[in-house]
Amino acid sequence: MGFLLRRLAFYLVAFFVAACFNFALPRLMPGDPVDIMFAQADASLPPEAQAALRATFGFVDGPLPAQFWAYLKSVFTWDLGISVRFYPLPVADVLGRAAVWTLFLVGTSTLIAFALGTALGIVAAWWRGGRFDSLVSPLSLVLQSVPAVVVSLLALFVFAVSLRWLPPGYAWAPALDPSWSLAWFGSVLQHAILPLATLTVVQIGGYLVTIRNSMINLLGEDFITLGRAKGLSEVRVMLMYGARNAVLPMLNSFAITIGAVMGGSLITEIVFNYPGLGNTLYQGIIARDYPLIQGQLLIMTLCVLAANFIADLANYRLDPRLRTE
Amino acid sequence: MRTILSTLLRNPKAAVGLGIVLLFVAVAVLAPLLTPYEPLARVGRPHEAPSWEHWLGTTRIGRDVWTQLLYGARSSLLVGFATGFLIAGLGVAVGITAGYVGGWVDEVLTFLTNVVLVIPNLPLLLVLAAFLGQAGPLAIALIIGLTSWAWGARVVRAQTLVLRRREFVQASEMLGEPRWRVVAVELLPNLISIVGINFIGSVIYTVITQATLEFLGLGDPLAVSWGTMLYNAQTSSALIVGAWWELLAPCVAVAVFGGALALVNFAVDEVANPRLRTLPRAPRPWSGRPIDTRRTQGAGQ
Repeated sequence: MGFLLRRLAFYLVAFFVAACFNFALPRLMPGDPVDIMFAQADASLPPEAQAALRATFGFVDGPLPAQFWAYLKSVFTWDLGISVRFYPLPVADVLGRAAVWTLFLVGTSTLIAFALGTALGIVAAWWRGGRFDSLVSPLSLVLQSVPAVVVSLLALFVFAVSLRWLPPGYAWAPALDPSWSLAWFGSVLQHAILPLATLTVVQIGGYLVTIRNSMINLLGEDFITLGRAKGLSEVRVMLMYGARNAVLPMLNSFAITIGAVMGGSLITEIVFNYPGLGNTLYQGIIARDYPLIQGQLLIMTLCVLAANFIADLANYRLDPRLRTE
Repeated sequence: MRTILSTLLRNPKAAVGLGIVLLFVAVAVLAPLLTPYEPLARVGRPHEAPSWEHWLGTTRIGRDVWTQLLYGARSSLLVGFATGFLIAGLGVAVGITAGYVGGWVDEVLTFLTNVVLVIPNLPLLLVLAAFLGQAGPLAIALIIGLTSWAWGARVVRAQTLVLRRREFVQASEMLGEPRWRVVAVELLPNLISIVGINFIGSVIYTVITQATLEFLGLGDPLAVSWGTMLYNAQTSSALIVGAWWELLAPCVAVAVFGGALALVNFAVDEVANPRLRTLPRAPRPWSGRPIDTRRTQGAGQ
């Protein structure tokens, strides 16, 4: 339990740092922070909404510590202010609704990419230097360094615009209303194929190369030889002796991966006009909706921290050393 | 150093990768010689298809796509390499300090590194870029550099911890060598492959991230770069009106450049870590082909 509690405390601090960043940034910019943040709002928000918005970000009368306290209170009561672009909706609502779609994309594609990438990486490491390995490993490395913008634009161009196999945008067909009907679910699935495939392609190379390299490093170890010497089947040695240990470092690098995938998802959603965080944010960026832009940092950080905690739980389950501590 | 380089060049992946990267550098440097046009000048009708006058067609405002690609390479490569140095340098500084000095300095730096590592990078960059207004290439290089050093620092620290306990480092400490000399002469040369991999990875990351930020409209719209090309293509609905060349050109450029650097990185990894080196024809006991005796034993399992 000590391990998990320490991780939780760490995540709390990390979230606090992200919040501090949001507080400090407008105040560090040259010029009047209120002017910077609410120039757009002045034009489009009624005075009482503006006053509420200012209070949310700690622009109250008083010294900096008092302002900081006011700001922290609003963050930890999940009051992220009012969106300027989507007035009168609060930022937490706008982003919360959109986050569902993003989590759907990120979660599903991560599962697919993790499963496929790990399986292929194990095979590549086991028969390293073979034909499969020397084709797939460099290829996935190259794939890993192609940005999500490029993959999604190419996918959009080939499959939606040229071949017309799949719809070019949004999460469901405009003719349907969201309902728990089969037609609507089918439409959602059909619209999700391209963004999901894009995100899977973006991620899979990273998983494959990581587990391959980590497993190759393990294959010379004595316990692999021991497994063989015990006369265990090849598949058992590969999976239970090699892969199980090779997966651990992967879970540790999850922290960086998941943040990058969330970033990739933002871009993919914009290209496919998908109603997730990315698209909402894009409209916010165009309108210079600072409360919304700041709110997404907190929501995204929260999602990444939650994903990290899930990885910690998996680590805890797989690695007995963490439990006996 | 020479042996590292010659080993690298004998690796086909590295040779191909380096070749492509050098080609991009050459093209960026020689841009004015390779095109008769100016990147921001209106030199044709809107959305002209590729032809002999305009190799890659024109944009919606009649700018030459090939010319923009050439000049865009300057911005993307310059920002990429400069930021790569910044990220790798910060990583080395923080990592070696934490790993070598140890104690509370290590505690603080490691904690800081982990926090920076877990806060998602792109959302952070979006906030920064939004407050900076229309961020020019220099501003983009700086904010990417200052937010992305954590991974390198973590890896360098881990390796420094390992090296610090090696005999040759301890020997030079006992001889009374000053700290900076131990770091510069004993530690750094042994970190070179890790730092190199981090540098190349950071260049890829920066090129991708710059393109992404600019694609989102957070860059300076008057700067010529691959990202602003993507942005202009997206806002002018190039795909929907069928002007695929406007979008495809920067896409292919980013993908090929990133892929080439990734190949180099893969090769450096192989050179630095002998276990990863794969020689297809050498027989290995763990090649996965079961030996007969074991198979008969394994049948009982």
